[in-house]
Amino acid sequence: MNIPFIGEVPSDIVVAWIISILLGGFLFSWVTKAGKWQVIMKYAQTTHHRKIGVMYLLLAVVFFIRGGIDALFIRTQLAVPENDFWVFQSQKYNEVFTTHGTIMIFFVAMPLLIGLMNVALPLQIGANDLAFPYLNAVSFWLFAAGGVIFNMAFFFNAAPNAGWTMYTPLATDTFTTEPNNNYYILGVQVSGLGTIFTAINMIVTIIRLRAPGMKLSRMPLFSWSALITSVLILVAFPVLTIALLLLMFDRLYGTNFFMGEVGDPVYWQHLFWIFGHPEVYIIVLPAFGIFSDIISNFSTKRVYGYTSMVAALALIGLLGFMVWAHHMFTVGLGSMANTFFAITTMLIAVPTGIKVFNWLFTMRKGIVKIRTPMLFALGFIPTFVIGGVTGVMLAVAAADYQYHDSYFVVAHFHYTIIGGTILGSFAGIYYWFPKMTGKMLNEKLGKWHFWLFLIGFHLTFMPQHFAGLNGMPRRVYTYMWEDHIFLLNFVSTIGAFLMGASMLFFIWNIYYTCRFTGGAAADPWNGRTLEWTVGSPAPEHPFEPMPRIDSLDAYWYAKINKKQLPEAEDVRPSPIAVETFQPVLLAGVIGIMSIGFIYGWLWMQIVGAGASLAFFVIRSLTDERKRVYEREEEL
Amino acid sequence: MKQVSEILYQDKKLGFFIYLIVEAVMFATLFATYIIFTPPSEGVQPDEVYELKTVILTSVFLLSSSGTLLVAESGLKHWNRMKIWLGLGLTLLLGSLFMGFEVHEFYKYASEGHTITVNNFLSSFYVLVGLHASHVAFGLAWMILLMLQFKQQKIPESLFIEKHKIFNYYWHFVDAIWVMIILIVYAPYLF
Repeated sequence: MNIPFIGEVPSDIVVAWIISILLGGFLFSWVTKAGKWQVIMKYAQTTHHRKIGVMYLLLAVVFFIRGGIDALFIRTQLAVPENDFWVFQSQKYNEVFTTHGTIMIFFVAMPLLIGLMNVALPLQIGANDLAFPYLNAVSFWLFAAGGVIFNMAFFFNAAPNAGWTMYTPLATDTFTTEPNNNYYILGVQVSGLGTIFTAINMIVTIIRLRAPGMKLSRMPLFSWSALITSVLILVAFPVLTIALLLLMFDRLYGTNFFMGEVGDPVYWQHLFWIFGHPEVYIIVLPAFGIFSDIISNFSTKRVYGYTSMVAALALIGLLGFMVWAHHMFTVGLGSMANTFFAITTMLIAVPTGIKVFNWLFTMRKGIVKIRTPMLFALGFIPTFVIGGVTGVMLAVAAADYQYHDSYFVVAHFHYTIIGGTILGSFAGIYYWFPKMTGKMLNEKLGKWHFWLFLIGFHLTFMPQHFAGLNGMPRRVYTYMWEDHIFLLNFVSTIGAFLMGASMLFFIWNIYYTCRFTGGAAADPWNGRTLEWTVGSPAPEHPFEPMPRIDSLDAYWYAKINKKQLPEAEDVRPSPIAVETFQPVLLAGVIGIMSIGFIYGWLWMQIVGAGASLAFFVIRSLTDERKRVYEREEEL
Repeated sequence: MKQVSEILYQDKKLGFFIYLIVEAVMFATLFATYIIFTPPSEGVQPDEVYELKTVILTSVFLLSSSGTLLVAESGLKHWNRMKIWLGLGLTLLLGSLFMGFEVHEFYKYASEGHTITVNNFLSSFYVLVGLHASHVAFGLAWMILLMLQFKQQKIPESLFIEKHKIFNYYWHFVDAIWVMIILIVYAPYLF
């Protein structure tokens, strides 16, 4: 489309502009009319774990919608052979699958899980907040800034287009000269910093802020999974940070790390997957934790094989660092390397299998209550097992030459990531919704959501296995009638729209619940862990008085014995909450600096960097510990 | 019952140590990059670039600055303001000298035509050593801020000690990275 003063712009972007303006205007007037600005301002200043968790989840759902619409564009373009849907061919198609992948991994899966950790983790272990509330707000706003930077790209007709893995040399400035991929680098970099800080926060919280008597061996499995995931983040994300830094030097400052005769494109693959493979465990382990808690809760039974569950989590985490080259079997690393990585990859099936059997044994002879969170858990087990089986198939290096870069791989990782992370996040949202909002999501709508989503999911991705085995490569925007994959693709598209429809039930459920239903009880699911001892929604200082824990599922046994949890004496001080605009402003100036780097505007880089550094000074001079320590010295 | 400040300080210390692990992983990745690309297959070689004199000077200044910081640390223990001033002042001076010679080194290499884009040995050298130098620069600014707060005496003693200690960990860490740089980046090509 030719727009006056602006020039040639693809029509999908023009439509997006119009929709954003309309939606923005509508939201603005609604917020003003409903008098909600105060609430928004409160949230912008908060450092409270529950509120930050809710913001993570809200933003994740927004990005989920964006990434989901991208997926629907992809599926519509692929619905029939030789299709010509709207603008989504060639380079435009590359942009759509790149944004879809990147958004779903970095801006949906990560914040969904980190959001749930924020809400539930402190409550599960008896902490009054995360160890560093201010840092937690910084983490969130860095994530938000990264998400905004990345999503902006499309609106300026500069969406990244080298795939979510940013493989070089395609991603270097020799082959993709426009600023498109700079958006990827800066967006992911900024949100990645936020993730690293969150991991630090989680680990310190778990190590130092557990309730008296809450030994590590009495900690709920979701908290365990949060701990192990955080450790994985500590090792994996800094590698990504440096990989992105080097790529940035290649693109902006003329170095050749990943390009040309002197550079090494495969080195990028190594760095990316040394981050990238632990990353898939980073996003699936917390889901395992959620399911462990939910299955135990709704089977009215202690989780089967608690110790082996923890050991399996740790083992998966450890092995997760030794498998990265299974993404590179066809690169030509040699048969020794391929054999090693094939074996380590297959080994991961062992701890995962332990977990699956433990979940099944937890349900065995339990009193199983089928509520919405439990439904998601039940849907997860077979779905994830299918993804695991295809994973072992892919681990066979020789066979991988056939599967590599085909739709078989696409089907595999959607089975694991949607089957694990997304179903887990939904389950977690239904499960902990009372703790976030003080309301219970509607069961009936929840069941609609579940069944439509699960049926749509299998319709979408089951046929892709066969399309892939029939030779359909990933990342192509069309295929021919004589390829005989029309029916498979068509079914897949129908399934995708079913999943889209199920999301409408989910959104409607949230709206309906928040608008029309009343307060939830503190313990609506007859729970076993500490979060159910505090009110719904969780208050600012939930553990006053602080309980003393003497076993796993202590709350459950207290209920059975018709007793209260004993009160603990000499409780450690809580982290100090503050209300401050600093984190959101800091994220703002870092965003400005990032735009400067994306477009190579030196003055903007300097202004942004200077302002960011100034925040370190401001932070140091307005330290909230000052008043607390002063009071202590006066005593 | 331990004091509030003591417990919150222990939280912060653990968090900061974990942060230093993150930094260590970042530097490790850059060291790996340097080792992979050095010596380069073509273009200028490291032994044609490095200059022993500057490396010795920068090392002497930075490594001894960790020692002078110990003076300030012992001043913290007995709250000896004089010792804290002396330790911080000397460390700032030595750190600045390091920074000066580091800038001189980069400037000299670049003016000899050894710029960042020449080959991957130089690229990884500049990114790695440059990241370390920016850590030192950040540390210097941090130290100045710390001295300012020390002079103003507006924050409680316990908070100042906490801030000072966290800074000490940072500075010693940056020093340790420099030792690694000497061992991995310079030594194999200078001796």
